[in-house]
Amino acid sequence: VTANGSVIDLRDRPADDDSRVRALEDLGVLDTGPEERFDRITRLAQHLFGVASASVNLLDRDQQYIKSSHGASLSHGPRAEAICDLTIRGSETLVIEDVAADERFASSSFVTGPPHVRFYAGHPLEAPGGHRIGTLCVTDDRPRPFGPREQALLRELAGWVQNELTQSAELEQAAEVQRRLLPRRSPQIPGYTVAGACLPSRGVGGDFLDWYCSPDDELTVTLGDVMGKGIAAAIIMATVRAALRSTAGSPGPGAAVTEAAATLQEDLEETGTLVTLCHARLSPGSGTLRYTDAGHGLILLLRADGTVRRPTGGGLPLGISDEERWPEGRVVMDPGDLVVAFSDGLLDVFDGTLAALDRVIEVVGGCRSAQEAVDRLTALARGTRLLDDDVTVLAIRRSE
Amino acid sequence: MMRVDTDVADDVAVLQPQGRLTMVTAPELRQLVAETVRSGRVRVVVDLSATEFLDSSGLGALIAGLKTARQAGGDLRIAGLGPQVATVLQLTNLDRVLRPYGSVAEALSAR
Repeated sequence: VTANGSVIDLRDRPADDDSRVRALEDLGVLDTGPEERFDRITRLAQHLFGVASASVNLLDRDQQYIKSSHGASLSHGPRAEAICDLTIRGSETLVIEDVAADERFASSSFVTGPPHVRFYAGHPLEAPGGHRIGTLCVTDDRPRPFGPREQALLRELAGWVQNELTQSAELEQAAEVQRRLLPRRSPQIPGYTVAGACLPSRGVGGDFLDWYCSPDDELTVTLGDVMGKGIAAAIIMATVRAALRSTAGSPGPGAAVTEAAATLQEDLEETGTLVTLCHARLSPGSGTLRYTDAGHGLILLLRADGTVRRPTGGGLPLGISDEERWPEGRVVMDPGDLVVAFSDGLLDVFDGTLAALDRVIEVVGGCRSAQEAVDRLTALARGTRLLDDDVTVLAIRRSE
Repeated sequence: MMRVDTDVADDVAVLQPQGRLTMVTAPELRQLVAETVRSGRVRVVVDLSATEFLDSSGLGALIAGLKTARQAGGDLRIAGLGPQVATVLQLTNLDRVLRPYGSVAEALSAR
């Protein structure tokens, strides 16, 4: 029980701390320095409560970071010593009216030495998934009461900080544009079913999925993964998609990727970005699927007879070298065969190693259509509490 | 969190990223390699034995570091990969560019 009587949730064990830290990282605010949108809130809080300082604090695995502070100067410190670490263990406001009289913190260096904290009130901040990733807190160098009215105000301000952390109108618009860049409907190819899905871990992401039919009825499909997350990755993703779309005239997927890579090399190098992708063309009549892998590596061919093959030995990701030539592989899809490609975010749903492939094979085994395979895999990804990375899935099945 | 060991030799630095090497920590590694190389330590070994998880941003930082070191006439080598890190490297075919070594000592002694 904390100083103001709220009960600490003991179910919130450190075992869950990894996903909490990931939720914090996914907000993309740890590496962005001071931001006015938070500074104006801490300024306001410091004046409103007339305290020595107000701050927005973020707690990762080991450290407490001051995202914004106003008033007496505060510095980053070990999480283990921070009062805010106690605050995020509960969902209520934590008030310690006299820190020096609280045996847990009375001998802490920030109480006995500068900034001589004697009063603390903090409210936890939640990421969209409900993980408590930081606090808005006010401190003073003398003990003081902090009644229900003040606690309500602090809670209000914490809600504002939380909105700033998780919402951005521009990000929503970007997400909408990106959704529109995804194929809207599956191509209708007699004798085949084709399906795909893209689940960004944030509003926008670096994964992409594309398909189109050329005039000679060949189906071209691409699944790509741009390094990084969020808006920066999304901008590059749109560029890569456009470059690949412009290669429709090239003789095959290997030549297409080599051509697109040459177009993109300078931009990717300039932005220090890597892109992995697989790109394939299907001739529906013969069932021949020609494919090229650029450091993606996650394609599976599940034969109707139950055998499974994973093509290996592709080329490097795009953005590494301007001398790379991407080789082309070829398989023939027979009736009942299923080809699945997916982004590495799906591996992370399991243990992040190739052992996860066996689980993927298990999950899609026996699927009667491409859509069913995609549905099963996305259900799996949606089932995890928190997506670490974007998850994108593509499936082509030749009907019996 | 990054451990840095510069005791091996005058032109060598061993960097050991701790925990997760992701978009949050990758810029730090990128910058550290650049500074290390600028200070004349052009042979960089990144010891990944304390790296639990590596994502594409982490890979990007390693590749950027490799370019920086090579441009200065040196090299960047990686050692002590755990299973997840090894998988990422293998899937992306980047083990062709960044050959993994079993240990820091092997990375330093290999020609």
